[in-house]
Amino acid sequence: MKYVFVLDESKCVACSACAVACMDQNDIDPLAGDIPFRAAFVDEQGPVEDPKFTFLSIACMHCENAPCMIACPTGCLKKDPETGFTVFDNTNCIGCHSCAMACPFAQPCFNDNSGKMTKCDGCVERVKRGMQPACVKVCPFGALSLVSESEYQELMRTDARKKISYKILD
Amino acid sequence: MRKFAIIGFGCAGYNGAKSLREHAPNVVIDVFDPSRRSPFNPMLSTYHAAGKLPYDAVFPFGSLEEICRALDLNYFSENVLEVTADRTIRTESDLYRNYDGILLATGADAMVPGSLRCSGNRWFTMRTLDDALALRQHLDTNQVRSAAVVGGSMVGIKVAELLHSEGVNVTIVDAASHLFPLAAYESTARFIQRQLENKGLGFRFDAKVTAIDEDGIAFADGSALQADLVCLCIGTRAGTRSFRNSSVQIGHAVVVNSHMETSVPGIYAAGDCCEGINLQTGKTAVIGLWANAAMQGACAGANMAGDHADCPGNILHNITRFFDMDFISLGDITLPGCKHLFDCPEFFVSLVMDGNTLQSVNVVGNYRVSGILKHHLVKQLTGGASTTFTPAQRGLLERNGLPREFIQLIGGSPNDRA
Repeated sequence: MKYVFVLDESKCVACSACAVACMDQNDIDPLAGDIPFRAAFVDEQGPVEDPKFTFLSIACMHCENAPCMIACPTGCLKKDPETGFTVFDNTNCIGCHSCAMACPFAQPCFNDNSGKMTKCDGCVERVKRGMQPACVKVCPFGALSLVSESEYQELMRTDARKKISYKILD
Repeated sequence: MRKFAIIGFGCAGYNGAKSLREHAPNVVIDVFDPSRRSPFNPMLSTYHAAGKLPYDAVFPFGSLEEICRALDLNYFSENVLEVTADRTIRTESDLYRNYDGILLATGADAMVPGSLRCSGNRWFTMRTLDDALALRQHLDTNQVRSAAVVGGSMVGIKVAELLHSEGVNVTIVDAASHLFPLAAYESTARFIQRQLENKGLGFRFDAKVTAIDEDGIAFADGSALQADLVCLCIGTRAGTRSFRNSSVQIGHAVVVNSHMETSVPGIYAAGDCCEGINLQTGKTAVIGLWANAAMQGACAGANMAGDHADCPGNILHNITRFFDMDFISLGDITLPGCKHLFDCPEFFVSLVMDGNTLQSVNVVGNYRVSGILKHHLVKQLTGGASTTFTPAQRGLLERNGLPREFIQLIGGSPNDRA
């Protein structure tokens, strides 16, 4: 079954619980120079008197035609056939950063200690064993979820219907 | 049963074969390549020569046998000498075959002007696996104290890094006035040069090499540079020799449209032997990059099978890491505009804007912003979607060190708060 990460921005408060859970799950130590895979933040735009806030939690989007995978010169990145996640085996990674330049979401990161690139693997081993990814499991507001492709399509249809309804009601 | 030929089996040839097989499971696919090797990435040559990547790892798609079995390919290890407009090929064993479609994917060779060829065994190029093996063997069996690397671009800098790491005294020589002449603004190049000088590298610019001999290299101004080893890294030349009589339009390389089809119907080209569309100029140009070759090959393979795939083009872009430094170049640095700089102790971003349009970017020391900036530049050119950053992109750029004012300058909307 292919999975999709979904962020409901209306529920997210950018509390960073997801980012901390990810660091814990993946032994990421920012103080030792590791770069966290997931980041949560608030984007504030518009006039000061009437600001618009967007709450976000961003990690690898596990794109269908993942550009990082195409760009990797040593074939370290692959699609996991079971989950659809973009996973990696960085044994042969040369740290060239081609994957980073290919990613529109600034996700692959370089580990100075190993000299290799790393990224979110969707907690693929947890998911294969029927568990939620760490970031999803810990989210206190249910903003992050992992859904199947068909559930995602249904969500999109419902969302589109909602938007049309709001527009009519407006 | 329809029959197709793929001439050359690097990244573009492999992806062409894979895509063709996916779109047309029952066709015959003949592959012609004299190397008897699995597709090899030229970029990996310096890594292999430096001992950073074992032999098996330089073939990212697996062994030749595995690939031929998985994609059901007939592999002919010989050169194609001629391709004609009626889609007939002639090989060096005088095999004549006619095909329903042909993909030209012969890649490019290291450029070596005739005047610089010499008979000695102390000069090298760096493009193929054999080049990597030859340099490695030479370093392992000879005492090399000094080296001249001719060409101060992406390959040259990696060769210089490799030689420097083995204790060789390296001088980089270039006919241009500074490093990375096609990718770096002069100010960026001078900054990088200073960093490398601090590590002990020597440089000689505006220096036209006229000869390479056993003592080193000779320059047009009559001077010379002694070197135990010379590595020529002055670019590549598209491998188009066997297509010269085919009627396909050839400029610096085989000219293709956005479907990767040449001027001759049924003959396609992909990878470093072809000129795809440069999105910034609208003209065709060689953009010799691994991912570009993969996308072009996949597009050509799909179209050969009868699909209608499109490869709209690309921009010049490069990312390279050398001497623990990251250098990123996006876009055509010769395009006009107003230059802006954000400089902080950890990194700098220098870019050229023409009004609200981003033209080109140089980044040193911050690879994490490269993907967002590259996609922004491409999005500007391919139109359709908004050309302002999304909240996610804005936030990620900010988290990776770019100040709001600078982000707004590049891709802000009128409602953004700086």
